[in-house]
Formats: sequence, C-alpha cells, structure tokens
Amino acid sequence: MKKDDENVGKALDKETTRRGFLKGAGAAAGFVVATTAIGGIRPPLAQAQQPKPVMKYLFVERQNCTGCRACEYACSMAHEGVVRPAASRIHVRKYKGIVDVPVICHHCDDAPCIAACPLDPPAIRKDPETNGIILDSETCLGSNCLRCQEACPAQFIRVHPDTGTPLMCDMCGGDPECVKACAQQATDPLAPCLWAGAGGAGVNMSFRKVTPDQAAKDLINQMYYPNTDGKRR
Amino acid sequence: MAAPKGGYFGRILVIDLTNRKTSERKVSDDDFRKYIGGCGMGAYLLYSALKKGHDPLAEDSPVFIGTGPLNGTSCVSTRMSVVNKSPHTGLLSHAEVGGHFANEIKWAGWDGIYITGRSRKPVMLFIKDSEVKFIDARDIWGKDTEESEELVLREVGDPDAKVALIGPAGENEVSFAALIVERSRAAARTGTGALMGNKKLKAVAVRGTRAVPTVDVKKAYRAMEDAKKLAVEREGWQGIKRYGTANLLEMKHYGSGSLITKNFQTTWWPAIDNLGAEEAARTFWKKHTACSNCPVHCMKTGVIRGGKYDGLIAEGPEYETGGLLGSNLGLTEFGGMMACIEMADAMGLDAISAGGVLGFTMECVQRGVLSAKDLDGVDLKFGNADAAVEMLRKIAYKDGKAGKLLARGVKRMSEEIGKGSEAWAVHTKGKEIAAHDPRGDKGRGPSYAMGTCGGDHHEGGDPKTLARWAMINSLTICSFVGGYPWGKETPKVFIDMLNPLCGWNMSDDEYWTTAKRIITLERCFQVREGVRRKQDILPKRFTTEKLPEGPKKGAVYTEEDTRKMQDSVYAYFGWDDDGIPTDATLTSLGLDFAMADMQAARKA
Ligand code: SF4
Ligand code: SF4
Ligand code: SF4
Repeated sequence: MKKDDENVGKALDKETTRRGFLKGAGAAAGFVVATTAIGGIRPPLAQAQQPKPVMKYLFVERQNCTGCRACEYACSMAHEGVVRPAASRIHVRKYKGIVDVPVICHHCDDAPCIAACPLDPPAIRKDPETNGIILDSETCLGSNCLRCQEACPAQFIRVHPDTGTPLMCDMCGGDPECVKACAQQATDPLAPCLWAGAGGAGVNMSFRKVTPDQAAKDLINQMYYPNTDGKRR
Repeated sequence: MAAPKGGYFGRILVIDLTNRKTSERKVSDDDFRKYIGGCGMGAYLLYSALKKGHDPLAEDSPVFIGTGPLNGTSCVSTRMSVVNKSPHTGLLSHAEVGGHFANEIKWAGWDGIYITGRSRKPVMLFIKDSEVKFIDARDIWGKDTEESEELVLREVGDPDAKVALIGPAGENEVSFAALIVERSRAAARTGTGALMGNKKLKAVAVRGTRAVPTVDVKKAYRAMEDAKKLAVEREGWQGIKRYGTANLLEMKHYGSGSLITKNFQTTWWPAIDNLGAEEAARTFWKKHTACSNCPVHCMKTGVIRGGKYDGLIAEGPEYETGGLLGSNLGLTEFGGMMACIEMADAMGLDAISAGGVLGFTMECVQRGVLSAKDLDGVDLKFGNADAAVEMLRKIAYKDGKAGKLLARGVKRMSEEIGKGSEAWAVHTKGKEIAAHDPRGDKGRGPSYAMGTCGGDHHEGGDPKTLARWAMINSLTICSFVGGYPWGKETPKVFIDMLNPLCGWNMSDDEYWTTAKRIITLERCFQVREGVRRKQDILPKRFTTEKLPEGPKKGAVYTEEDTRKMQDSVYAYFGWDDDGIPTDATLTSLGLDFAMADMQAARKA
C-alpha cells in the first residue's frame, strides 16, 4: 500500500480497508456490514423497510452513458475506501470525444475467467448467493499470471495498481454501488445507464462478446450514423 | 514549512522542455492554504517567476496547469485552471476547463504541471503517475485536434489516458489559440495554445492511479455528497442538465436583452429560434456528456443530417460558442453555426476571441471599411456562415493577407485599419469579450472590466462575487456545480469539505481573506504591467450606443455606472484611487513581497 492510501485508510473503520473487506466478503452478512459502513454515505441496507432482492447481474444501456465515471468513483469508494478510479472494477472508456462505453462484468454463466485460472482450487470463484466474482488475493498469482484477464471476452478485467491482482466485480453483495451512483447522475430518472437484475436472461451471455472497441463503433454508427468515409465533416 | 496532510500531494511537476528534464517543486501546506490552487496558485508562481514586461513567448515563460484540493476526491471538482502571461493581451490570464484531465493529474500524484523551456522538435508528454515520458510528436504536428487526439492516444498506448493538446492555431502561434482538452473542451482565454506552439509542445497526456490523501475521509466525503445533492436538487439547474448552457441563447434574447448580435449592434435576434437549445434538442443532439462525477452533464454532442452540412458531428452549442459564432455573426441557420463551432474546436481556436474577430471584421465590411478584396476574396458579410468557416481556417494557419490580419485580434486590427473602426472594436484590455451584452445584463460589466484578465464572463458581477469566483477558480469548481448552485451557502459548503479533507480549521473570515489575497495578487501582476483605472473600462460601444431594440431597448452602460463599479471594487479590496493595492492591504494579506513593485507603479 502506498503512503497516501494508509493515510486515508486510517480514518476508516477497520473492515472498510480493502483487506478487511475481502475477508468479510465470504459471509453474505459480513459483506453487507462492510459495504454499508464505508463512509456511512448511503443509508445502511439494514434500515431499508423492504429487504432488497439480491441482484446477480449488471446491464448497461450504453447510449445513456454520460461518461461521468460516478460508477468508478462509487466502486472504488466501496472497495478501496477512497475515490480511486484506477482501482475501480467498472471502468468507462471515451471514444472520439463523442461516445462513452462503460465496461462491466457480465457474470458469465460459464465464467471463462474462473475456468482459465491455473490454480486448484481457482483463486476466483462465484458467490452462489450474489453471482459476484470473489478473488482470493492470498493465493492469486497476480501479475505473474493474469490468465483470467486474457480469457475475459468482455475485456473487463484490469489489475490493481498496487497489488497487480485482477479487479473482479463482486456485485457489492447484491446491491451494486455503481448502479446506485449512476441513477443519481441520470439525465432522465427513468433512463440511467447501469442496471442490475436478479436474472441474466441469457443477454449477459451474448452481451459479453462485445469488446469495448466494438461497442464504441456500434454506438457511433447507431447514434451518429457517420459518413461512410468516416470524416466528421 | 510542513507538507500538506490532505487534499494536496505537496508537489508540482516542473517540466523543462529545453533540456528535456523534469523535477519536482515542493509546496508547503501554508502556501496552499494561502493560494489554494488553480488560478490562485498560478498567480503566486507567476508573480515571482516573471518580471515586468516579460515577453509572454520567451523561452522561459511558463504555462501552469493548476488543480485544486478537491480534484480527484468525491467532490464534483472537475476543472483546472490554466495560467500564463497571455501573448494576446500581455497580461496575466487564467482559463478554467473541465473534463477528466485535472483529476487524472491529481490521481497521478501532482497538484499541477509547470511547463517552461522550448523544445527544438515537436514533442508531447505522457505523465503516468511519477513517470514522465517525452515523446516525439513530429508526425502529429500539423493535424487538427480531432486527428491529433486519436494519434496521441494511440502513441501513449493507454486508452484511459486523458489528453490536452493544441491544433493548427496553436502551432502557428495565433495569440488567441486555445488548449483543447479531450477533444471539445477549451482552456481558451489565455492564448495558451500559442505558448505551447511556441514551445513545440503538441500535447500532454496524463493518467493517474493513486488516491488523493484525505485527513478525515468519512467527514469529508459526507460533506461532498451533501454538496453534490445541493447541486442536483437546486431548482434552475435542471435546465442545464437538459440544455447545457444553450438555452441561454433564447433566454438572453427573449428575457434579459443581452444576447450579443452582429458585433454588439443589438441584442434582438429573432432567428435565435433556429440557433438555440430547442432547435438543438429537436434536430441535433444525440447525447449528454459529463465531466468527472458530475451530475449536470452540460455538454451535448450531435450530428447534422440533411442540408448543406449533412454529416457534421460536433459538440455544442454552448451559450458562448452559439452567441459568438451564431447571432454575433448574424447567422440564421443552425448547421452553419455548428460548422463554425466545430471549425474553431478542430483548429484549436478560442471561440470567443475568434467570434469577436469575425464579428468585428463583418462590421468593417458592413460599413465599407473592408471589402472582399482586402480579405483574400472571402465574402465575410454578416450571415455568411461558409465565409466564416473559411476564415476560421485561414486565421488558424495565418493564411494569406486576411488570415494574418484577423489573427491579430480586434484591438490590433482596429489600430491597423483605423478609419473610425475603434468605435466598433469591442474588447477590454485587448481581449474580445464574451457573449453577454453588459447593457442588457449590467452584472457582466464588472466581470469584463474588473475581472483579472479582461473580457471574461467567469469573474463575477460585483466585488463580493469577484471574490467568490476567485475562490471557485482556485478551488477549480465548475460554475454550474459549485459556482451558482452553492452560491448562497458559500463559503460554508466549501469549508465543510476543505477542513476535513486538508485537516484545516478555516473560518468564513479566512475564506474571504484568501479570496481577497488571490485577487489582489493578480491585480499586482497587472498593475506591474501598467493596468490602472483607465484600463478598467468597457468598450466604447457600451457606454455610447443605446440598445436599439429588444427587452432592454434604450439601455446603456453609463460613465457613472463605470465609475461606481470601479470605486466599489477598489474600496472592497483595499486598492487606491488608481486601482493600485495599498501598502496596508498588501501587509494585511501577507503580500509584502509585492510592495516594492506597487510603490514603483505608484510613482510611474
Ligand atoms: S465478464 Fe469477464 S470477468 Fe466477468 S464473469 Fe465473464 S469472464 Fe469473468
Ligand atoms: S457491482 Fe460493485 S463491484 Fe461490481 S462494478 Fe459495480 S460497484 Fe464495482
Ligand atoms: S455513472 Fe452511469 S452515466 Fe456515469 S459513467 Fe458510469 S455508467 Fe456512465
């Protein structure tokens, strides 16, 4: 950990540091306590009247993305205790200054990332409750391996700038922080960019095959129907 | 001199382009607390680095790209302030620009970038955390901003890097060339593009992977969340979410009577229905775009389909670009206006100054002082969008007689042309003014005449708002997030965030003293260059010609208005009758180091 991270970590509750977070992640209950204690910014889940259904999949309505990266802010706050987009799981790419592509984990039913892990048992596994991908940072081979990164068809996986281990989306215990952050940013409250669902409906399996570059091309074609010579004017 | 505990990294990246060397300048917590960052820190660094009369395009003239303490935290702080001595006006200038660039600088572990020297060959920088690479930019030199950004990103090989660069206008040292950030945002009012062109610095790309040190995360982040809510919820700012600033085009025409039209000849332009926000929303915009973490997403991009400009993809209009390159040019058709805006962005020109220059030239043509013959055959009449687009390109390349003439800016043009053209040469302190006619909107008078750099719309409308905006531009907060919506709660909203972030115990009093210190230091710089009361004025047109029509028909900015404005500003900040900060003021603000210069100025 770099010095500035220690500095910010000091002010936080113990279980909100990244390491503590990962330990708590095994048990669903511990997980919820951990996320909601972070900064105490959003109302604790426990206080909600109706228990929220556990969300197992993320979806993205790409043309609605404003490129604000509030999702990156929220994800890194939840997992690192501070705003640090480079360590966010979700990440947003801008293309040609005119479209933004949020890159998410599709929580593939067959999880090629897990299948690619050379360890036995793999250092990443799916939480059966939330569908989140949980990383065991103790066993993960990190920058010496990164087979998962190669295997991910969505090009979702980036590595942690300090530890070199893959940044996996754990679905925030079933209540994704990025989705909540996106709702606050949305142009139209009915049309945010990020969504969460309890079922994948198979869409996740086809959606994951679209790389960020391809998604950007599709968006530009669909939204701006550019001239065939590709010229802007 | 203790290092900062939070909010800052306590170090500014110093780039020496001549020797291709980088170093680190340590800045203490005390100095940050005194000058905050952004334009305040810029004024401090440049005041001591430069002497009176220093050539803005000298090899050692610096460009400072300054962030603020809140950049990169969970606060919606998206801007940076670019500070340099402007080759256009010869004065200290700062320009604020949003996007993600400023926050990436912070995440890379720097509080700002201070660039001096001159490279022999075109070069670009890639700053990745503490590592700085000088990359050959010969293949990118000469390309427009669209193509350049693609090439820079390919060259640095990091798709998450953010880019600020110059276009042909900067390369050719047009004195109102802009620094273009992330393709369509501009730090424009400082002539920074010309400085970078002179330094052969094509682009700066930056990527950071760190976090901003924060003393009390819980408290700071909660205050930031509250502030963000305030910005989202405040009535009136919902319109900005929907329309950006474009709907001010309609508002200033129908409502406040301050829409600039045909080089400030009137503020009434019924064709605004074809140029404004409603037209854009109906026929053009495809997408909202936001700076880091910003819920306001004021930037809009779209595409023109059908007609002459079929296939044009562009960003805007904002109020400034739509005003200066729309109604100001007497345009009546949306596509033509967007073609001008896109051309200014692609060439890397300040759209405000460029629009001012075109409007002035068009009026010269209208009054028979210039003709197509003097303008390389371009028929630069009010309403001719194609001619305006062509002329923007010529300006950027200083192409032909016309390109060279117009690249000089309104003040120098009118001096050269003469023939009574001073009467419609609209500028303050040598800088073309923004898109709000101060006869209809009197509050803009002080921003243009009393603001540090002259002619800017982002400086504030009375002494207290001048002070407020000095802080907003030093804290590098956007007007549409913190400037206006947090207005009533200033400084509480800021202090509630700053204290737990930086480990300070700043009070309201200290906040206002800091604001006064920053403005007064900027003023010292300008006074050293010769600015006095007689320069703190509005263009003659506003004080002599009444608005001929529209909601503010008959309005004029009187000499009396000007005098009152000057007196109130001098009194509030503690400057003498000629606008020179007094010894007592300097001492009370801890600016004794400027005292000798001010005494010399008083004698001169
Ligand atoms: S999208 Fe990538 S990271 Fe997510 S489950 Fe599929 S392979 Fe794994
Ligand atoms: S669901 Fe949680 S972990 Fe996954 S990207 Fe969103 S915020 Fe990050
Ligand atoms: S929060 Fe939503 S709109 Fe903003 S960048 Fe993320 S996905 Fe896009």
